[in-house]
Amino acid sequence: MNSPFAISICAILALGLLGLPIGYSMIAGSTLYLLLANLDLGTSAEQILNGLYNSYVLLAVPLFLFSAELMNVSKMTDQLLRFCDMLVGRFRGGLGHINIVQSIIFAGMSGSAIADLAATGRISIDMMTRNNRYPLSYAAAITAASAVIGPIIPPSIPMVLYALISDASVGYLFLGGVIPGLLMAIAQMVINTLMSHRHNFPVEEPIPVRQWPGITATAMPALLMPVILLGGIYSGVMTPTEAAAVAAAYAFLVAVLWYRNITARDTYLAVLNSARSTASIGMLIAGALIFNYVVTIEQVPLTVKGLLAGYDLSATMFLVWVNIILLVLGCLLEGSTIILVILPIFIPTAKALGIDLVHFGVVAVFNIMIGLVTPPYGLLLFIITAISGAPLRTIIRDTMPFVWAMVIALAIITFVPETVLWLPRLLGYKG
Amino acid sequence: MRQTIARMLAGARWLRRRAENVAALLLLVMFLCFILQIVTRYVFNYPLGWTDEASVVCWIWCTLWGAVFVLREKDEVRFDIIYSTASDRTRCIFTIITGLAAIALFGIALPAVIAYVTFLKVERTAYLGVRLDYVYAIYVLFSIGVIARYAGLTWRALKGQPPAIQIGSGSAL
Repeated sequence: MNSPFAISICAILALGLLGLPIGYSMIAGSTLYLLLANLDLGTSAEQILNGLYNSYVLLAVPLFLFSAELMNVSKMTDQLLRFCDMLVGRFRGGLGHINIVQSIIFAGMSGSAIADLAATGRISIDMMTRNNRYPLSYAAAITAASAVIGPIIPPSIPMVLYALISDASVGYLFLGGVIPGLLMAIAQMVINTLMSHRHNFPVEEPIPVRQWPGITATAMPALLMPVILLGGIYSGVMTPTEAAAVAAAYAFLVAVLWYRNITARDTYLAVLNSARSTASIGMLIAGALIFNYVVTIEQVPLTVKGLLAGYDLSATMFLVWVNIILLVLGCLLEGSTIILVILPIFIPTAKALGIDLVHFGVVAVFNIMIGLVTPPYGLLLFIITAISGAPLRTIIRDTMPFVWAMVIALAIITFVPETVLWLPRLLGYKG
Repeated sequence: MRQTIARMLAGARWLRRRAENVAALLLLVMFLCFILQIVTRYVFNYPLGWTDEASVVCWIWCTLWGAVFVLREKDEVRFDIIYSTASDRTRCIFTIITGLAAIALFGIALPAVIAYVTFLKVERTAYLGVRLDYVYAIYVLFSIGVIARYAGLTWRALKGQPPAIQIGSGSAL
């Protein structure tokens, strides 16, 4: 590492800390590096444009955003609540369990925790706080925590980003997320059960069995979504990117033909909102493309690998340290930035230690998604505060038990790689 | 005077809405390319090559066009822990520093960026045969847009108006 690199890192950090958007900070700082290192300044354009041009897999990101927007418009997910009530409502803390099960199903339809929260947050909280049955802060906390399941169970936008930087297969990463996602849900249900017994939260009236078929039929359009998506990908009919497009088309058709509640204006807004999110995540990706180029010519990942080799770390200890670092960073930084900028530094070492890159990716994404609900910078906490109107402080207090449970689940998937790799291997993964 | 300003603001809003139309159209075309590709491949067993290429071009344009002409400061992904707790005066100082740095660095790179893009005029995309300098020209537009935008933000910060931000916006996770 020489001084142009050190200066450019300082510049990126300084600009970022002063509030310049992260994508621009990385482009500006990397340009400074090119300038100081006497390299062609056109390299930034070259790296960003060629990088965007050749990363076909990334097109899944705007398409998943688009399908989530359409599902929100059609209120497809509202129909899921009664279906979840039918499954778990009669247990102690029933509405909390309903909230979690709904997130599991929604996770199979969308790749984003924010989309999950935007779609189901308001209605879940209203349902739980009606007649003061649950404290507002607890309703907000469990809604935010359960949204974290969204990007773990496939499809998943952060796993697409990880596939970009690691060259691991998106399909196998998606599969690898299934069991960890369910594990996360179980961990949350355990906490909900404990809390419900402690605070004597109510149970729901069991739904008579003769109503089950009707309720299931009403929820069918939403329930079919994960089947189409995952079935399409794993039968080999569609690439994950194409599946994202099919999901959007399906959501649109359901809204037009089944629920008949989408207007031309709604459709336009859904397209525009997705375009907006595409641009903002695209800028992060653009910044990461040029920054990662600089990091690579400076051989940072190799330097890190050399440094760590000196410590004689075992694969397990390495994973423990990476987990700790990522959990701390997750409290401070936006998650996609961590995936795009920090993870590439660890990947060569992970490879050298013989850690499977699908396992590594799922563990890292799982970890970084916990960061969505850890203060001070927890994206979902901010959003749920805005939705629920409960004070941030009380939401954080009620979210913490869920965070600890998720950290235990993280430890399990870290130390037992089979929890991640069993399903991909069953379906042909050779790693 | 007031009338002129009002008219200019209305004009700016009109332009932004048209820019939004373009971004939305790009995303829609990208989506339709995918659907067309899937239908022709699986229903008619006739895979198209150009749809891949067209959708990638739309993705690049949607990202870079959207970044400068559609996104507002509050839509950006940023590290806002410090900025959001700062006073308006401090925010102005932050904005001036970052704005000048962005203008300088994007400005210095601009001639080389233009040279790189024009150099590609001899290359064409694989299926559609579009000149690559046309496809990549969006980056030149993007660079100029970034410079103009930060010039505007810096100017307003100098007059004591820091950009408003929204904590935790812009992420796609």
